[in-house]
Amino acid sequence: MSAPSSADMEYYYKQLFPFTDVFYWLNHSREPSKDMANRELAMAFRSGAYKRYNSYSSPEEFKQQIERANPDRFEIGAVYNKPPKERDALLKSEMHPLQKELVFDIDMDDYDPYRTCCEGARVCSRCWRFITLAIEVMAATLREDFGFQDFLWVFSGRRGAHCWVSDRRARMLTDIQRRNVLDYVNVVRDRSGNKRLNLVRPYHPQLTRALEQLKPHFVDIILGDQDPWCKDESAFATLLTGLHDKQLQEALRKHWTENPGRSSQQKWSDIDAFAAAETRSNHLNAARKQEYMNKLKECKEDIVLQALYPKLDVEVTKQTIHLLKSPFCIHPATGNVCVPILDGFEPSNAPKLHQLQQEMQQHNNNVAETSLQPFIGHFEKYIDSVIKHAGEAVAKAEEESSLKRKHDDILA
Amino acid sequence: MFRQNKKRLSSRRNFDLSADMDSSGIKLENGVHQYVLSGSDAEKEQKLYDSINSTKLYFYEQPPQGEITLEEFETWAIDRLKILQEIQASISRNRSLKDTAAVIKPLLQKLLPSATGGSHSAAEAFAEKKKDYYSHYILRLCFARTKELRESFVRAETLLFKIRFNLLTSTDQAKFVQSLDLPMLQFISDDEKNELAAKLYQAASPVLQFQLNLTDEQQRKAYFARERYIKLPFENVIELIGNRQVFLKDGYAYLPQFQQLNLIASEFANNLNASLMKVFQSLPRMNEDDRLLPILAHLSAGYTMTDFDQADGQYGNNADNEINAESVWSPEISKHYPLSVRHLMEGLKQNHHLRYYGRQQLSLFLKGIGLSADESLKFFTKAFTDGGHMTVEKFNKEYKYNFRHNYGLEGNRINYRPWDCRTILSKPRPGRGDFHGCPFRDFSSEKLTSELQKMGLTPAQITSVLDSCQKGEYTTANTKVFEFTHDSNGTDVEINDQTLIAHPNLYFERSRQLEQKRKEIEDKIKGSS
Repeated sequence: MSAPSSADMEYYYKQLFPFTDVFYWLNHSREPSKDMANRELAMAFRSGAYKRYNSYSSPEEFKQQIERANPDRFEIGAVYNKPPKERDALLKSEMHPLQKELVFDIDMDDYDPYRTCCEGARVCSRCWRFITLAIEVMAATLREDFGFQDFLWVFSGRRGAHCWVSDRRARMLTDIQRRNVLDYVNVVRDRSGNKRLNLVRPYHPQLTRALEQLKPHFVDIILGDQDPWCKDESAFATLLTGLHDKQLQEALRKHWTENPGRSSQQKWSDIDAFAAAETRSNHLNAARKQEYMNKLKECKEDIVLQALYPKLDVEVTKQTIHLLKSPFCIHPATGNVCVPILDGFEPSNAPKLHQLQQEMQQHNNNVAETSLQPFIGHFEKYIDSVIKHAGEAVAKAEEESSLKRKHDDILA
Repeated sequence: MFRQNKKRLSSRRNFDLSADMDSSGIKLENGVHQYVLSGSDAEKEQKLYDSINSTKLYFYEQPPQGEITLEEFETWAIDRLKILQEIQASISRNRSLKDTAAVIKPLLQKLLPSATGGSHSAAEAFAEKKKDYYSHYILRLCFARTKELRESFVRAETLLFKIRFNLLTSTDQAKFVQSLDLPMLQFISDDEKNELAAKLYQAASPVLQFQLNLTDEQQRKAYFARERYIKLPFENVIELIGNRQVFLKDGYAYLPQFQQLNLIASEFANNLNASLMKVFQSLPRMNEDDRLLPILAHLSAGYTMTDFDQADGQYGNNADNEINAESVWSPEISKHYPLSVRHLMEGLKQNHHLRYYGRQQLSLFLKGIGLSADESLKFFTKAFTDGGHMTVEKFNKEYKYNFRHNYGLEGNRINYRPWDCRTILSKPRPGRGDFHGCPFRDFSSEKLTSELQKMGLTPAQITSVLDSCQKGEYTTANTKVFEFTHDSNGTDVEINDQTLIAHPNLYFERSRQLEQKRKEIEDKIKGSS
């Protein structure tokens, strides 16, 4: 952990931060437009001060102003109908948000009941697999269900990841629509894991797909690597509570109390063994037995989702005007750069500001030779795609509205 | 959390109907209100109705044209209002659409017969339609004033629309849908349906089971086989997305035909909302007509009376400073608290802290019962610092602003209202270490049982409360607890008057009033003996 000084930050904004790229990305075009001129940016300072409603109409102004203010970090908000910096001269009712990227936020500490390697704000390559998996599941939902093409995952600098969806349709969503998209994506609402999910059957196709994605990793990550239920209390809290039958729960509780410290793998198989015994001792007939085993299978499916399905921080997604830290900012506590997440990324490969400063010295201040370059390269390719699709979407929207006008004219 | 709420609040803060009207000296012109005053003849009007729709349901797109008397103006509006109020009550009780329809239908027969197809002659039918049409438009005038009123009006009218749609025969439904000429009602081909059949069925099966009550799998499969599907951009059926009721692919939602009412209803709600905004913008022009204003003001006031919130902005009766930083802990006061507040107070006592939502819920409740801003600060300072984990300086730095803000002493200076049950239920659910929310929804049944036992309920009473909770009727559960704790044998008419307690402060006020009344009676008896 190495928190950067304010001189470090000044250096970073002067030499390294890709202002032009970030500007184009948020502008959805290389020509300066309202998408950036009317975009709110907020700056957070070391002192704890927070300055909202800044806006910049060119990459040069963007760089100059941030450099001058030298904030700890800055955050990105909505595009308004008027430039946010003129807000003081306007009536409050005259300003309203028009659009913003659809964003999602995943924090590692929401996985605490299921990880044993770290807790709280700490992460390592082992528990980062939860996030990698969450990104995969989210990608399938965003792409296949909502038809979104352009989304980017960004390391939040310490223990989480942010997703930015730049498709025009995603940007134009209203608050109510955002809330519904969120509810669709967000399956595990209770964070403690000690309540049965009890999802309806048959699963919605989205959940079926997620379950298929997660199952192999459940065996690997939960039953194998993390082994959270080896600790008996946590097995009582988050494994037993997922089962449907009180008697079965009691039998297992007794068994695990008498034989403490059985591994997650063993406990998971204990469930089947004890369930079989339960049906025998209750003399269930074949049909009832089938029903019991089905119910048990459903509980186990729910437990898989409960453990591994992406756990989202809901507040970030709900409102168009919500602010979220910009990519390529420095995390004020760790000194990590908030880089886009590439394949095989883990938090320890995130470039650090101190390390970048050394690299710059070694390579004659040439950013292209630092370890930041691969991330910038990836980001630039991504921006090309965003700009291409944004142009197409705008053209299509204009065509539709002119068609509609013609249609209306004919009717009138 | 952020400032978007400002616009909404500013209207609440400054609203004063009469002042608004007086200050704008604009004369009534040919605006939206023309229909109230101008006198075109009934024949023309009849034509309008015929052309709008030959069925019994409308989107109310064309304003009515004819002339009506002031008396009709008022009585028709009141009749429709009664229906909407009942719908509102159903919404706050979390009743299902089916149960609501069952409650509303007899009311419709009496007050809005055209909805149930009750007319016998053409002349009667016309009169009934006219009443339906006018009353809707009159209420638009009443409920355009504030965002809250508009929202609740749209919610109630949309539900009424759904109920009425379901009352139509399927031929009438089809005719009505056709008459709307909605562009997005495109059915998919059989090939496309077959290709996606497995997934479409997965998505539809729970809905068929719970909404159409097809409990048998074979029934559901047969229904599914016959069903036609509409494909449309997911944004158009957004309220079916959140609870995963439809299948989504590549940005399109696949909507079974039996769910198309949702689509039409959301179209109805959007249209109505847009129209209300227009009415709102032209409200100042109405000041010319001094006959209508009092009626309108009276109508919307009557409507919100049931909404304990807006009565007059005055809450607790705290004339002799009975409620202060110390007394809110005392049994004399705290025995009137509803369960949610007891839970918050308990949490505060144990942890010497409450998280944001808990602070909001509790401090606004206490404000509602009459705790002054100074006393409130005293109360929370003591409660937060008593545990020894927090210094007064830290409290002042981090929390004081929050509590002062709730009293309108900081920032935007809005006088926030105590949360009603609907607000409480709409906030994020409590997690570990949270004490806000609704006990009837958020407690496990074991915990709720033990809490209710502490309040002295019998096992049978507890079962009845748990029953309501299971059905999602949380305010009913709360009301039951009130009735059981205040009148154990269920004979007191005053308690059993069927008032739904949908506000923690209403619980408190009613509880205190009852106690006061009983005391007075006892004093009288003592005095006379």
